[in-house]
Amino acid sequence: MSGPAAGSSLSGRLLLSVSLLLLFFFGATIVVLDVAFRETGEQAQRHILDGHLMSLLAAAEPDGDGASLHLPPDLPEPRFGNPGSGLYGELRDARGNVVWRSRSAIGVNLPHTAPPIQGSSHYAEISLGDGTELMALSLSVAWEMPSGDLAPHTFSVAESLDAYYAQIAAFRRQLLGWFAAVAIVMLFSISLVLRQLLRPLRQIEREITEIEEGRRQALSEQLPSELHGVARNVNLLIGNERARSERYMHTLDNLAHSLKTPLAAVRSVMNEHPESELKKRVETQVERMNDIVRYQLRKPASYASEGFGLTAVAIQKELKRLVEGLLKVYKDKSPHIAVDVADGAVFRGDRGDFLELAGNLLDNACKWCRSRVELTMRPCSSTGIELTVADDGPGIPEEMAGILLERGMRLDESAPGHGIGLAVVRDIAASYGGDVRIAKSPLGGAEVTVTTA
Amino acid sequence: MRLLVIEDDETLRESLCRQLAEQGFGVERAGNGREGLYFALEYPVDLAIVDLGLPEISGLDLIRELREKGKTYPVLVLTARDRWQDKVDGLAAGADDYVVKPFHFEEVLARVNALLRRSGGWASSTLSAGPVTLDTARQELSVEGKVIELTGFEYRIIEHLMMRAGEVISKSELTDRLYDQDFERDSNVIEVFIGRLRKKMDPENRIKPIETLRGRGYRFALERSQSGQQ
Repeated sequence: MSGPAAGSSLSGRLLLSVSLLLLFFFGATIVVLDVAFRETGEQAQRHILDGHLMSLLAAAEPDGDGASLHLPPDLPEPRFGNPGSGLYGELRDARGNVVWRSRSAIGVNLPHTAPPIQGSSHYAEISLGDGTELMALSLSVAWEMPSGDLAPHTFSVAESLDAYYAQIAAFRRQLLGWFAAVAIVMLFSISLVLRQLLRPLRQIEREITEIEEGRRQALSEQLPSELHGVARNVNLLIGNERARSERYMHTLDNLAHSLKTPLAAVRSVMNEHPESELKKRVETQVERMNDIVRYQLRKPASYASEGFGLTAVAIQKELKRLVEGLLKVYKDKSPHIAVDVADGAVFRGDRGDFLELAGNLLDNACKWCRSRVELTMRPCSSTGIELTVADDGPGIPEEMAGILLERGMRLDESAPGHGIGLAVVRDIAASYGGDVRIAKSPLGGAEVTVTTA
Repeated sequence: MRLLVIEDDETLRESLCRQLAEQGFGVERAGNGREGLYFALEYPVDLAIVDLGLPEISGLDLIRELREKGKTYPVLVLTARDRWQDKVDGLAAGADDYVVKPFHFEEVLARVNALLRRSGGWASSTLSAGPVTLDTARQELSVEGKVIELTGFEYRIIEHLMMRAGEVISKSELTDRLYDQDFERDSNVIEVFIGRLRKKMDPENRIKPIETLRGRGYRFALERSQSGQQ
């Protein structure tokens, strides 16, 4: 398919809609999965903090004088001992003074989270001066000292969220990667399916082109049931078009026929009268009317059919009949007419139009040649032909070539119809998107070449 | 020469026939295909002029029919349909030439003369036999290079004899083909014209161009000089 914008082609529209839908549904899915993953991750993070806090609680014991709590230097979780490990612990007394701080927190200024209500825990997200995000858990407890006093203390643990964020980022990357891959595979499969679905439409398109080029008469019936109606109607339209064009040609022919006989009668009757001014005037008018009838009432059949009347013409047979006929007419001269038609040179068009082209050119060549006429036909472009007729006559002077192609001009009044024949050829060629060239032939005479597109 | 004109338009047919008769042809006429076919098959005809668009039996069918029945005389087609398709159809059906309406009478006459000459076995418009030359285009007879003045009727007789040089042509055929039907028939007239022709062409009775075969007719006796035999 050439040209149409993506929006105006069916598959383009479908792919666009499918892409938008995929984007929406996949986008929503990605958001939901992301939220779920983050919540799960946060939950897991809190459990880990709970665990660390419990381990601190378990390790804490009153110091020697029993006034406050202290923690041993070696804790079960070694990360408390490694500076910069990302896991920090802190113990503050009731007044908020730091009683103990894990070794990992050396040089790290952990902000003091507000002491929560006695006996409750409190999660908070805090950030350090350098931008590191932490999740902190504080628990305030009233510790029963050996003295029996209850000493309120606040245990805090905090862990860097870097790992957590890295996990989320990795998850997102994977998620997006997979969804992108799935989306691409889906779009690809959909376009494959579309191709398959639209194949009958392409078939119709191809067949209509073939009909235009004369390689086919009607649309085939092997189409999905949904398209049967379309095919039937198109075939009906083509049939009507052919019939209409035939009727049109028939009407023109009949009109020309019914006008020409009275013209012939007028001319014949006038011929019996002695020369006079009246006779000359009538003769001029008869000539004018005849030119009008001949030229105007003979439109190439392709004008009428506009592409739907075209069929491949069996050229060899038509040329044989034509040459046989011309040899009868030019029996006195008996020119040698050589016909050279290349294999595969098929005239796609109206049979009558082809005969007009070949007939007029061969007739002119026979009229003017001394003894030899050559017709060559070659395919030109995918559907057109190049038809060349050459003779060994006097040739057509260059300055006359252009004028000859004008309608109704005659180079030599003694050879009636010479000019109008070439004008008809030019008209037919033009109706097939081609043209006519007049040149000097290698045989010495005129060489007229007609091309059709 | 006897022509058959088959044309359904009465004005055209009558005008054409009048002009042909004026040229010295014997003319038979028909206004439709059926009548035309009857004349074409049953009458002595040297050439038929047939309109293609005829009522009852079309011109094409008529030509096909008379060719099938073995008639070989030339047929000139008159047609208003000047598409090559129609011309080729006419020629393929058995016609020998065509003239497209509206024609000039001179064109028809030239074609008729050429076809008659060709059917007599002459390839060119100048018929020559020994010292005798007949230029059918200029309607001029010359013997040993000297132009002989002839009346229209004398010309028709020598043309007919020379066209079919070597063949014996009966007096009745000459009468038949040279006179129109309504013309006064008198076999003596032919004898008189032949006598005059001999005197004009061969005053010293040297060449002896026209031979009389008693009881059978006349024959142009000189050998054809051109290789135009068909």
